[in-house]
Amino acid sequence: MFAYAVRRLGIGAVLLLSLTLVTYFLFFAVPSDPAKQACGKNCNEEQIEQTRVALGYDKPWIAQWGDFMTGLVKGRDFPADEELRANNPNIVTHCAAPCMGFSFVNQQTVNEILSGAFPISASIAVVALVFWVTGGVLFGILAAMTKGSFLDRGLVGLTLIAYAFPSFFIGKFLITYVSIKWGWVEYPAYLSIEEGGVSGWLSSLFLPALTLALLFLAGYVRITRSYVLESLSEDYIRTAKAKGLSQRTMIFKHALRAALTPLVTMIGLDFAGLLGGAIITENVFAYNGLGVVALQSFTSDDLPTMVGLVILIGSFVILANIIVDILYAVIDPRVRLG
Amino acid sequence: MRINVKRMLAASAAATLAIGLAGCGGGDSGSDEPNAEGSSAGGEAVAGGTLYYLQHYPFESADPQRIYYGLELANFRRLIYRGLVGFPISEDPNEAATPVADLATDTGTPNEDASSWTFTIKDGVTWEDGSAITCEDFRYGASRVFANDLITGGPNYILSYLDVKNYPGPYKANDKQQAAFDQAIECDGNTITYNFNKPWADFPLAVASLTMMDPYKESVDQGAKSTWQVLSNGPYIVEGGKWAKNKGATLVRNENYDASLDDPVLRQALPDVIEYQINPSETSVELIIDRVIADAGNDQYAVPAPTIPPTRYSQIVGPVKDRSVLVDSPYNFYLVPNFDRVTNVDVRRALAAAIDLEGVVKARGGEFAAARAKSIWNTGVGGYVDNPAFADLPDNGDIELAKQLLADSGEATPYPINFTYSQSDTTDKIAAVLKENWDAAGFDVTLDPLTDTYYDVISKPEKTSDVMFAGWGADWPSAMTVLPPLFDSRPNFSSTTCGNNYGCYQSDAFEALVDQAANATDIDEQNGFLQEADALLGEDVAYIPLYLNKFYMLRGSKVTGYMNTPSSSMNPDLGAIGVEQ
Repeated sequence: MFAYAVRRLGIGAVLLLSLTLVTYFLFFAVPSDPAKQACGKNCNEEQIEQTRVALGYDKPWIAQWGDFMTGLVKGRDFPADEELRANNPNIVTHCAAPCMGFSFVNQQTVNEILSGAFPISASIAVVALVFWVTGGVLFGILAAMTKGSFLDRGLVGLTLIAYAFPSFFIGKFLITYVSIKWGWVEYPAYLSIEEGGVSGWLSSLFLPALTLALLFLAGYVRITRSYVLESLSEDYIRTAKAKGLSQRTMIFKHALRAALTPLVTMIGLDFAGLLGGAIITENVFAYNGLGVVALQSFTSDDLPTMVGLVILIGSFVILANIIVDILYAVIDPRVRLG
Repeated sequence: MRINVKRMLAASAAATLAIGLAGCGGGDSGSDEPNAEGSSAGGEAVAGGTLYYLQHYPFESADPQRIYYGLELANFRRLIYRGLVGFPISEDPNEAATPVADLATDTGTPNEDASSWTFTIKDGVTWEDGSAITCEDFRYGASRVFANDLITGGPNYILSYLDVKNYPGPYKANDKQQAAFDQAIECDGNTITYNFNKPWADFPLAVASLTMMDPYKESVDQGAKSTWQVLSNGPYIVEGGKWAKNKGATLVRNENYDASLDDPVLRQALPDVIEYQINPSETSVELIIDRVIADAGNDQYAVPAPTIPPTRYSQIVGPVKDRSVLVDSPYNFYLVPNFDRVTNVDVRRALAAAIDLEGVVKARGGEFAAARAKSIWNTGVGGYVDNPAFADLPDNGDIELAKQLLADSGEATPYPINFTYSQSDTTDKIAAVLKENWDAAGFDVTLDPLTDTYYDVISKPEKTSDVMFAGWGADWPSAMTVLPPLFDSRPNFSSTTCGNNYGCYQSDAFEALVDQAANATDIDEQNGFLQEADALLGEDVAYIPLYLNKFYMLRGSKVTGYMNTPSSSMNPDLGAIGVEQ
């Protein structure tokens, strides 16, 4: 299994580097001028050109990608000006390896931007995951156990309705009615654990996490329901029932286990995607996570931040895939990795 | 300052629906007008308490030499960054555009031809750390504007005015370059003298409006890393010393601020705390306005930055309407004919004559969102007069006159027009209104909506646009920041771009008037030349004015002394606003 994991990580690293290369290529294929945007509103051609040189956008894109790779391995200085570093060292920003670049829009290293935004996205993702996995599995089991009943149809139907609404609608609805009009919860504003303690942190995450959970819930209810139903008709369940096992043991120890493999796959991929930022939900709630950073970097031609996001989000997805594959072997003894 | 048309219009995303809804609620709104334009409201202002400022987009920088948003310039000037002079808190446009002394002892003394200005800095004024604000701090601040390869963005007028050449900014200058710069801005004790290479009659207006000439303390400068660092010299400091781009900041009293060295007409600093809450999301305008309409909890003490979007007009009735105010904004929107393609002046006149201006205002969101403009020159900018070429055009357009002008032009009809605009729901509607009348007048209009790279495209000389849509707001209340930046070919043209002069317009007569205005030694004389220049633009139909935006603003019920002033670019003036205790 160790060799398998190492091999997959190696392939993942190559994939990530390819992603950065494609991002650089696509960025320069689009007809926009990041130097003009950075220079300001009244810049003449000479000043724009000066800015282009200062930001390194005058180099061929492949050379810029080479500089980026150097930064990942060795770190970089911004601006890369030896004379300035000698005369005015506090003006130069040193970005230690693995340096993902320097955002001229935000005047911060990409590492700083992403490390500031990641805890917010991760917090939303974790709490949402708890909501939707708990709700999805429990409602799925309940629906399976009451197959064909009003409750079964109601649960599946309601979760499908929630799934049918886009996240911006659910988010805006929750803010407008639950918070502003009905005043059931305070207007949502992100609080870190340092700022608000665990309860403050959890409270601040309630509405955005609920928005995401409602979106994901339907899939989990249906998957759990169908796999539990399938398991309940298997011979080994009949045998278990004949042995006199309680229904709870039958469901949670035997029937649910069969549903775990597809559920773990879904959880891994969904969670990894969310760690990279829930763009719409974060924007609706103005939670400045990776989703907000992503949107702002795309609308302001902020290439270094875009590439950093590609690396981060790509890493999550690749790692999640590897972990899910490894977990298969744990969940299902029939699976062997090598 | 160029306007992000899409952002400005985003609040009107559901304009048609909203107009319908507003109509349904007409019984109330018709007899329940918002406060008269410009009137202050909300009870007597008192000191103390916490004011919540709700903002719908993030700033680009908190560095005084890089700030360029009108809203940020206005608010920071009142709260944390004082300049040599400032504009007073006043609803009267003329008074609000007349600088008064701030960190300086007076409003400056020009030499004979206004190519040199001298100010004396007040004794005893300090930074938030208690250190004195010196002449050298002012000089250092101005020098940072030149380092535009390291700290990018921001207004840079001083580059073309200051009498120094090849100065790379303070970080890279050698001794000789720095000595030359120190000659251009001379310090003698507390006296600072700016030497320009040409007259700059409205220099105090620029100093009052923009923070580019503000002092900066060299010892705390970290170049680009200082983007969000704030060292205040005003009545408030930023808690933690750093502005959070997407979050805002909490402003608390500056212990080292001496109110006796300030002028209450510039800032009254009433709240003890000002909490900035920034929501950078696309839906933030509606959410912020919904909070203030609901007026619950801390939102009773809130001042929202955005104007009320048309989707919420129907809810601004009864007691909510008492908390609203409707004022003209400093932003004008206009059309630009492309002089490389629409070369016949009668064709351009026909375009202007046909426009249904009332329809355009309705498409923009109606009377609460816009008002017809009769010049590109904003009514709040000193020296405003209607442009004679457009003043008498009928509100709904004159199709017959347009047909006649087109026939007189000798051009074949239907005359093809490619109309380029920055696409949004609202501009789509405006474009449809324009097309209807133009087509009826004998044009064959093709709509050409563009998205993110709009200004890049329409700046190019080789574009295929015949008419373009644009917006502009003056950088300071002088038409010198409107007409020359938009229509003077000399600072705009290069081999690859027409710059902000999107129509690639060039007129020796116009540029001669601009030069005369630039060389004028007093503002009235300058305005006279600019009025002539604007009239010439009208004769040539270098632009066609459409509308100016209205600001339809709301506030919480416990906000006091509320007013929107020209000196704050018609935003809520935080220099005067307080909250109930």
